[in-house]
Amino acid sequence: MERETGSRREAVRQAAALWVVKLDDASCSAADRAAFEAWRAESHEHEAAFEREAVAWARLDRLRAFRPGLERPDRDLLAPERRLTLPLILPKISRSPWARGLAAAAAVALTVTGVMTFGGGTAYATAIGERRVVVLSDNSRIELNTNSKVVVRYRHGVREVKLVRGEAVFEAAKDARPFLIKAADAVMQADAGAEMAVRLRSDGAAVTVKRGAVDLDPEPAERKDELRLKAGVTAIYSSAGSRSRAVSDSEIDRALAWRQGAIALNGQSLEQAVAEFNRYNRQQISIVDPSISGLRLAGYFQTTEPKSFVTAVTSAFPVRASEGTDGAIRLTRRG
Amino acid sequence: MMAQDDEDRRAWFRREILPLEPDLLAYARQFCRDGQTDPEDLVHETFARAIACKTWREIGNPGAFATRILRNCALDALRRRKVLTITAVADFERIEPIDEAPGAHMMLESREELRALADAIAELPAQCRRVFTLRKVYSLSPDEIAVRLGLSVSTVEKHLVKGLRYCSDKLGRRIGRKSKVDEGRSWSARRDHDAKR
Repeated sequence: MERETGSRREAVRQAAALWVVKLDDASCSAADRAAFEAWRAESHEHEAAFEREAVAWARLDRLRAFRPGLERPDRDLLAPERRLTLPLILPKISRSPWARGLAAAAAVALTVTGVMTFGGGTAYATAIGERRVVVLSDNSRIELNTNSKVVVRYRHGVREVKLVRGEAVFEAAKDARPFLIKAADAVMQADAGAEMAVRLRSDGAAVTVKRGAVDLDPEPAERKDELRLKAGVTAIYSSAGSRSRAVSDSEIDRALAWRQGAIALNGQSLEQAVAEFNRYNRQQISIVDPSISGLRLAGYFQTTEPKSFVTAVTSAFPVRASEGTDGAIRLTRRG
Repeated sequence: MMAQDDEDRRAWFRREILPLEPDLLAYARQFCRDGQTDPEDLVHETFARAIACKTWREIGNPGAFATRILRNCALDALRRRKVLTITAVADFERIEPIDEAPGAHMMLESREELRALADAIAELPAQCRRVFTLRKVYSLSPDEIAVRLGLSVSTVEKHLVKGLRYCSDKLGRRIGRKSKVDEGRSWSARRDHDAKR
């Protein structure tokens, strides 16, 4: 019963907030304004709720103080991971000793690879070509692929792992402790015992669930079934939204062949295959001739042996390989 | 003029009553210790009754005025319930109203408030935060934001409503500041007062 009154209150406040937002828009029509007047005249409850939201809306105008000059708008200006930079934008706010300590720690982190602890979180990273398994105190596992980085922190009893770079497989332990994974804009909550792979892409993240289930963007208020990813599903999450599709076990195994130090190709283009190898090796491969980039390949290759891959390509296709002065392998069409 | 009168009444509500929200909420919690009533509902109803007051010009102490309303709301809520517990009624006699000039304790230090607002924005989901940042920091219109982020205008509005609701509740609970009416203090103050009598 109390829940009912609470949701009624929330409904009124939501309606009030929507009017505040609409009325503050220059394109608000006269009809809308009249509709608002009618809504407000319905009850003092509406009238008071509107004043409350309108005052908060006006107070939020103070956020303009964060705007750094005339640069083009940065939509992520107030993102949580950017908060450390705010004192620089706002010189009036003195930097606390805490913030200075953090900045110093961050400077140290640049010179040390591997494990770094700062700001309450622990970072684990791999170099190019490196793989690494991290076992957390509760036996949850994180397996880092090449050139990857995660930050693990415990906040309010919640274990939170942020994938900062690259790709990783997460295996949540059987216990029921909440396991949150952040990658790009996605927030995922893994069920106990779930196993999932997350890979950052240029615009977002790809998530593949191998075992158990994962909630994408868990928000109690608006839990939607379509955002629950079950085993055998891969989802691509980007600023444009998310989409998911079913994947077979063998497809998942191929995508995760890196855990055995391999790249499994099953009809990918030469361009995709080259991009894959370049993740694992300092010696880069480049396709000079675009006409060969669409060639389709299949096979199983060692991640750390781009040369054997190149040999396979040149022997199967009309492709020639040459090494440039910078050590890069250049692929051109033969004949 | 009627419309001007309404505007004056609303301005009074904004100036004198709304800033009391954190104190009213703390006060309301004391009536809700049995978990049967939502303190936010009591404050919500208190606001609705306060803004209805046509004789607002005659109110000398808005804090006392608002707490009286809240108390009545709480009593009404109690009466609506089938079972009245004795302790719940006894509690009422022991709770002191807010009796300080509004506004005096309300002003968060402005830099502190600005930081608290930014913290609140940072806590929003990513897309909501972006829409909000473009609207409130960069003053882009909903149309411009919709084009920039590839969203519909109504989706932009939804994000703005969500962000506003989050922030207005935070402001209502007085972000970054400890509540002035804290239970332990007002209780012991009352007991001392009783002892002296």
